Amino acid sequence: MAAEAARHDLDVRGTPVQMLTGGAGSELLFLHGAGGGGRWLPFQARLAERFHVRCPSHPGHAGSPAAEWIEHISDLAFHYLDLLDALKLERVHLVGASFGGWIAAELAVMASSRLASLTLIDPVGIKVEGWIYPFLFGMDIPELVGTVFHNPMAALALAPPDQSPDTLALQYRQGTALARVSWNPYLYDPLLRRRLARITAPTLLCWGAHDRLAPLDPCGQAWAKEIPGARLRVFADSGHVPHLEEAEAVADAVIELCERAGGLA
Amino acid sequence: MKFYYFHLMPYVMEHDEPSSWVTLSNRHYDPREGQRLYHEYLDQLEYAERLGWDGLCVNEHHQNCYGTMPSPNVMAAMLVRRTTRAKIAVLGNGLPLRENPLRIAEEIAMLDVASGGRVISGFVRGISAEYFSTGVNPTHSRERFYEAADLILRAWTEPGPFAFDGKFYRYHYVNPWPRPLQQPHPPVWCPSQGSSETVEWAAKRRFPYLMVFTPIARIAQIYREYREACERNGYTASPYQLSVNVPIVVAENDAKARAIAEKNVMWVFNTGLRMHPPFWRPPGYMTEASVRKMLENPPPLPSDLTFAQADAQGYIIHGSPATVRDKLRVFADELKAGIVCSGMNGGSHEATLEMMQLFAEEVMPHFREDASVDETAGVGRSVAAP
Repeated sequence: MAAEAARHDLDVRGTPVQMLTGGAGSELLFLHGAGGGGRWLPFQARLAERFHVRCPSHPGHAGSPAAEWIEHISDLAFHYLDLLDALKLERVHLVGASFGGWIAAELAVMASSRLASLTLIDPVGIKVEGWIYPFLFGMDIPELVGTVFHNPMAALALAPPDQSPDTLALQYRQGTALARVSWNPYLYDPLLRRRLARITAPTLLCWGAHDRLAPLDPCGQAWAKEIPGARLRVFADSGHVPHLEEAEAVADAVIELCERAGGLA
Repeated sequence: MKFYYFHLMPYVMEHDEPSSWVTLSNRHYDPREGQRLYHEYLDQLEYAERLGWDGLCVNEHHQNCYGTMPSPNVMAAMLVRRTTRAKIAVLGNGLPLRENPLRIAEEIAMLDVASGGRVISGFVRGISAEYFSTGVNPTHSRERFYEAADLILRAWTEPGPFAFDGKFYRYHYVNPWPRPLQQPHPPVWCPSQGSSETVEWAAKRRFPYLMVFTPIARIAQIYREYREACERNGYTASPYQLSVNVPIVVAENDAKARAIAEKNVMWVFNTGLRMHPPFWRPPGYMTEASVRKMLENPPPLPSDLTFAQADAQGYIIHGSPATVRDKLRVFADELKAGIVCSGMNGGSHEATLEMMQLFAEEVMPHFREDASVDETAGVGRSVAAP
């Protein structure tokens, strides 16, 4: 089992960020999805057996305070390019899940050369004909769990510790940070899809077979079509968050891709 | 004290769905029934003017059975030609909900010119659920509100054309025809729920503050904050800057009034304001400070409000004429509210008209020390008339 995660407080071009790190090896940056900030779960632990894993919380999420300047998804992609610069990381393996996958894709179309590999886990972020993403902001907790998870027990990993004002205020702040860049257009950037062809890094798409937010057909297939040479792997027992629902299998798929992609030089 | 007749124009119905807003299917709406209701409601507003009410209020809400007035300006336009004296208060237009808020400057100016300067223009953000119905990003709500208000006020007061380059709204030519009749512009009111930011914003501009469906203790607290904010801005608030929207039920005796209130007024809270919980709290609609304040002392959801609570906390005024006079005295003498906005619902159109008449004859005359005062003079404008 890899070492415990350590918590770091960074300043990224004036934007404070809290980040968990663990493990040793090649550099791997993980961008979390909604509600996934500040957590070191079995998926990260497994990756940390092979990589030096960095999990920053997006501004406004978990331990990272809100940043007023972030108004568009591309602001978040630039923020993570700034983070790579601040940490003097020339190239990394980049992994993003759901909303984090959207940010990762935006970053990849800007600076694919900074990526040794790219893994997108059930990303959102592109408009797919024939599909409208279900509106999570209008859902209560049972509806959310039913939409995001195939195995509802996996949702316990993200459950809040309590219902105190502090916890609820944090959830409101996270929702606000998410809504600011994703309310309308909802969960996509109209400009992103055409740009995906710019991605040259070896790319893996991990998809839950039962994703009800961004289903394999048509969403996963659209991504696979747009990113040159991308490999699509389907996880049979997962919904929208296979890295929570089948953590080991997804982590192993990431490891395999990274090994195939080679070093960071 | 001034009396304004406030209409929600509800589509009163019972249903078992989790929300009366946003998702309650419009297949429940029968347009023929809607036609009947619109005409009854407009008749009530017109009757209010004949009975002596000082103002008639309409407002904007979307996709619900609580209030079927998505465009309050359309209803105000109908009233303009059928009334001659009463103020027509649009409380209000949801500024951030518009992609082109210059249209509000134009429509209010049209109403003001056509009515001979009787229009009051409410500026609101729209309630939480409106952001689900319109697609507008609730995290932009406050910024869009301030920017649209600035645009509209400038459009009314600065000779056009001029260019406006905002964050959300951009125009090369701001030059609306017509411009308003009232100078410098129609009075602006802020109907609101009492967020500190809005209190400060309104007080600074002398915009009257209207508390809607709020417990009396909270009204007292927000009025105090508003008055203090006025003092900080170098003036003392006029009573006509403080108004309240409270439903009133008056009947020949207390028991009868209570029975009507229990049924008709509680429908507004329990059914009309029944909302799927996420629709109450769109992300970013409130500031983090306001959310924290609310979470530390959460108000009951209107759908959970019991009649006993509503009664005890002063959400409603009900009783015989004598009882209603006593309860209104609290608003006049203790809260020092200058304007009371109230809707009435007797259960049927005829019963409502009778209730209005009883109120006008037995209650209103006892609060008319200020009959000769124009409540809109010197308030609702941040700049002086030229």
